[in-house]
Amino acid sequence: MNIIFSNKLSTSGFVIISIFFAIAIVYEIAGNRILPYNPLQINLYQVNAPPSFSHLFGTDQLGRDIFSRVIAAIPIDLGISMFVVIVSAFIGIFLGTIAGYFRGVLEEIIMRTTDLFFAFPPLVMAMAVAATLGPSLLNASISIIFVWWPPYVRLVRGNTLQVASSEFITMSKVLSTPFRKILTRGILPNIMTTLLVYATMDIGTAMLTLSTLGFLNIGIPVYTPELGSMSSILTTSFYTDPLEGLIPAFFIFIIVMGFSLMGEGMAELIDPNIRSHLISRRKRLEEFSRVEAKEGGATS
Amino acid sequence: MEGRRELAYFIAKRAIASLLVIIGTIIIVFLISHLLSPDPAVLWAGPKARASTIKSVIIRYHLNAPIYDQLYYFIIGFFSGNLGTDPVSGQPILKEILYYFPNTLELVLTALIFIVLIGVGLGYIAAVNFSSKKDAFIRILYTSAWASPTFLVAILAILIFTSYIPIFPSGGMYSPSIIPPTRVSGLFVLDSLIALNFGDFVNGLYHLILPALTLAFLNFGIITRISRNGILGVKWLPYVKSAKARGLSEKEINRSHILRNGLIETNTVIAVMFGWLITGTIVVEEIFSWPGIGRFAYSAISSDDYPVLIYVVITFTIFVIIANLLADIMYAVLDPRIRLRGD
Repeated sequence: MNIIFSNKLSTSGFVIISIFFAIAIVYEIAGNRILPYNPLQINLYQVNAPPSFSHLFGTDQLGRDIFSRVIAAIPIDLGISMFVVIVSAFIGIFLGTIAGYFRGVLEEIIMRTTDLFFAFPPLVMAMAVAATLGPSLLNASISIIFVWWPPYVRLVRGNTLQVASSEFITMSKVLSTPFRKILTRGILPNIMTTLLVYATMDIGTAMLTLSTLGFLNIGIPVYTPELGSMSSILTTSFYTDPLEGLIPAFFIFIIVMGFSLMGEGMAELIDPNIRSHLISRRKRLEEFSRVEAKEGGATS
Repeated sequence: MEGRRELAYFIAKRAIASLLVIIGTIIIVFLISHLLSPDPAVLWAGPKARASTIKSVIIRYHLNAPIYDQLYYFIIGFFSGNLGTDPVSGQPILKEILYYFPNTLELVLTALIFIVLIGVGLGYIAAVNFSSKKDAFIRILYTSAWASPTFLVAILAILIFTSYIPIFPSGGMYSPSIIPPTRVSGLFVLDSLIALNFGDFVNGLYHLILPALTLAFLNFGIITRISRNGILGVKWLPYVKSAKARGLSEKEINRSHILRNGLIETNTVIAVMFGWLITGTIVVEEIFSWPGIGRFAYSAISSDDYPVLIYVVITFTIFVIIANLLADIMYAVLDPRIRLRGD
């Protein structure tokens, strides 16, 4: 927690994300009652209306209220991206620790498969899977997870290799501690910080991929309010009604920005080269101010 | 002499590995397209196909044969260049892909040049002015560029630079009045230069700038970030201090001591960049009506043209794998340490 509030970038990112999480949770609990309109309600008398007091963000090509749809879409987008990242992280922990700890043939098989999946351009392969499975939110998540897990395996394996060669792990091996205990007490706590920072930034990237699938109309059911598929109207109407698609796109931008800012701030603190400099600089500043205070006290 | 043999060994090893990855890709795409779907025949024929069409599709793609036979036909078909015909246009798919591909290459390579210039430049400025206002501004700039959805940037670029301040053309590869030169390399800009047609060359560049800048803006962030952190990683090392102590000028230290070592990681990331650029072309090409393979993919998606989609996916992936291979070889030539590292 301290790591988040230690610099401005990650604090502001954290605030942005918290606001959107609050909106998502309130909407999930209260449902459509808190919205001015039903997000799925079609009203052909009022299509493409500009923003006004009755429709805060205007209405889309079928007369649905864009404000209500954006609010309804936030939990869907946040939920799917988090689901993708969490499942990928678990796959990463599972395969990565096995490969990094047991080594041998198993590692070779796992890592070569990971390399193969790592070579795929993520969106393109997700597109192929989503187009094959057909539109549903679960299929959309599966298609993204399909290409999302390889970096996690690499990350976890790399860190496990480092930790597993350290003396306290050798010691527990000598004491014949069961693998489960070495994993949960020895390895996981040591790789958790890196994994969490990476995963935080990654939720934003996953959301970008999800919304691009939505924009391309693959994998997301037509009537589901999802920020990317709401923006897909842009391909036909961006000269006439640009706001219709730009507002949801802008919301994607803000949410992803929140995650990126948070990750960007935290990444700096776990990068050893930069961190040691930051810490030494802070110490020097503190000493300097102490000396100055002393000298200031002496002269007055 | 020793070094050259090592290099040849390295290249051979990487090339074989890449070939294996390509075969693996084809197998995985085959598994996706033949096993994941409850009814592959409907998928390949399209959701509204008639029974007779489905029957002919089953025969054409051997969908009744056992799965390993299907895999055999799929791989053999791929390597003999027989990708079937596009059910929408009636053209051979391979011919279409080869037609669209150079256009995408032109866009991606131009974007890559912009990315390296902007990305490394900003990363350097940020690192030199570490934790100053300039640094903070650049960090927020690249974080927001990285966080932008492709379609948002592309549409804003079009709206701002072709509609509100009309200084760029709104789409296409060249003005409709131009008759394209004979295809030598397939890249319009290069071909018009080979034909010594400077009017067309300028026109091509003029159409190229906005989509390439859009792609570059979306992707320069990671390069800036990596080069900034790379430079910061070496900036406080003892050898830089000793250079300072020897009385070298700030400029000289920055150029020959810090940049050289700080940008090693940037090199490797530029190769990974291809994957992201290719991903970006699908949306950017559609919005800028750039007749490349990304737009081809988009039209295949919107017309439920599954065979085309599958082969376009394979093309994209192979392109990325080959780009990575070329980059690996380039770095091995430039930096002997990579060759010695083995992996």
